[in-house]
Amino acid sequence: MEIAVASGKGGTGKTLIATCLARVLADDNPVLVDADVEEPNAGLLIPHQPIKAWPAFRPVPSIDLNKCTFCGKCAELCRFNALVVLEAEVMVFTELCHSCGLCSYICPENAIDEVKHKIGVIEESDLASGGKLITGRLLVGELQSPALIKEVRESKRLESEIRVVDCPPGTTCPAIESIRDSDYCILVTEASLFGAHDLELSIDATKLLGIRTGIIINRWQGDDGEVGIIAREQGIPILMRIPFSIELAKSYSRGENPLDAMPELHHILQKVIEQVKESVA
Amino acid sequence: MKELLVLSGKGGTGKTSLTASFVSLADQCIACDYDVDASNLPILLKPDKTQGQEFSAGLVAVLNKDICIECGLCRDLCRFDAISSEYQISELSCEGCAFCAEVCPVEAIEMQDRSSGRWFESNSHVNGKLVPIFYAELRPGEENSGLLVAQVKSAARKKAQQEGYSLLISDGSPGIGCPVISSLVEASLVLIVTEPSVSGFHDLKRVQELLELRGVKSILLINKADLNLPASQAMEKWAQDNGIPVAGRIPYSKELAAVVSGGQVPVSQPELHELILPVWQKIRKELEKVN
Repeated sequence: MEIAVASGKGGTGKTLIATCLARVLADDNPVLVDADVEEPNAGLLIPHQPIKAWPAFRPVPSIDLNKCTFCGKCAELCRFNALVVLEAEVMVFTELCHSCGLCSYICPENAIDEVKHKIGVIEESDLASGGKLITGRLLVGELQSPALIKEVRESKRLESEIRVVDCPPGTTCPAIESIRDSDYCILVTEASLFGAHDLELSIDATKLLGIRTGIIINRWQGDDGEVGIIAREQGIPILMRIPFSIELAKSYSRGENPLDAMPELHHILQKVIEQVKESVA
Repeated sequence: MKELLVLSGKGGTGKTSLTASFVSLADQCIACDYDVDASNLPILLKPDKTQGQEFSAGLVAVLNKDICIECGLCRDLCRFDAISSEYQISELSCEGCAFCAEVCPVEAIEMQDRSSGRWFESNSHVNGKLVPIFYAELRPGEENSGLLVAQVKSAARKKAQQEGYSLLISDGSPGIGCPVISSLVEASLVLIVTEPSVSGFHDLKRVQELLELRGVKSILLINKADLNLPASQAMEKWAQDNGIPVAGRIPYSKELAAVVSGGQVPVSQPELHELILPVWQKIRKELEKVN
């Protein structure tokens, strides 16, 4: 089973929930996947021992000028304008390339090879609590985060019964790439106007993907507000409410795991997992 | 014309609340929201309702089953797993590269324009002045957020040029990926709003690395500073060591959270105005220095 922890708005507590879930699931040997490759933070909140790391690549075209006749077909067909063919030169704009492979396939002279372009690093660690942490770290300046997210999500897939994915914020391609193959999506939100607005967008996204969804309200202050209305209207369960606590915010700021600052979370999260398992079964 | 862009790396540090406050405090400006995934600036600035304009970027493959001979070539070659075993094309997965359409032996696949979202030009009435505001909504699951950001930015800059506005104040996206990189184009100064947490610090460093790579100047603001004073100090020291000016600290304020929760611009409250005004003055000075 794979549980994605996502939210439209940033900073609602995705990483906090994902790392706590991994600890609560410790006996099941979980794999915690940090798919927020632009700003991977899961490792900052859960003790772990790095095991190994490897680079991640995506293919981009490389032109053999000895074979190229400068016919221009590659540039004409590239929908991303990543190639410009001049009289005796071909310019490749790696940033714009989506690694689809069309240019290399259609080149009449077989003059285009694909070479590896590094987009980031994948790190594998043992969690002190049990299980593994897989982190994707995008190279600063790289645009194509979904390619790295895809690779991170596939790492160790076969070796784990249960996976928790810490997703990037938002509702567009990086978020979708992180959530898409999950069995269940937990949307972490706040009961504020921003939280409610972004929650609705996230629900649209999980509906589009056909993934079962539940809500956790973080920094709850006694009122579900508009989030409660949205949950009712959309028929989505509120799995849990984490009361606002300045102590929790302070311990989080020091990088302490909330399960240590609020031990009662353990039992509540176990119940959340039971609800998720029932819903998926 | 100058553009102040507000970024954070980590989400939820207070970008939007502060952007709205600066828009309110500035003499005259245009406001932009580049968080096209989850646009929240309009919640605080409450622009007049406008129709918005269709944003179409990229293509999507459409397969005609009457023509398809199910040879499987498109499926084998698609790198994005967008074509199912039943020859259904997933619009969510399709990257619009047209590989399938180009290789199909019977020309059963056609590339069509995809509607990715909408962008809006409107007016807000903030603190007794009229503020043009530009924002957008990308449809869930869509890509090309960078292009939509570029569209919003170019529309705002055009308006500024035509009507003589000298300042754009822009709310950015979290992260350091595609929409953020797109929002950096022509930005004069980036305000990094951070919070004193291990995650906030980690993410701040990655934003700064990106800014250095792109040659954009920055200024730092530590929000919720009293949650962890040693961390706030460490951040200021780091900023000093890296030649980044510090606009100031804003303490954690339950009132600020409550005001924003109620959909109000923080500086509409006197106590919050007092907290945020000195920070804005410092940023304005720094803006004057940059080209």
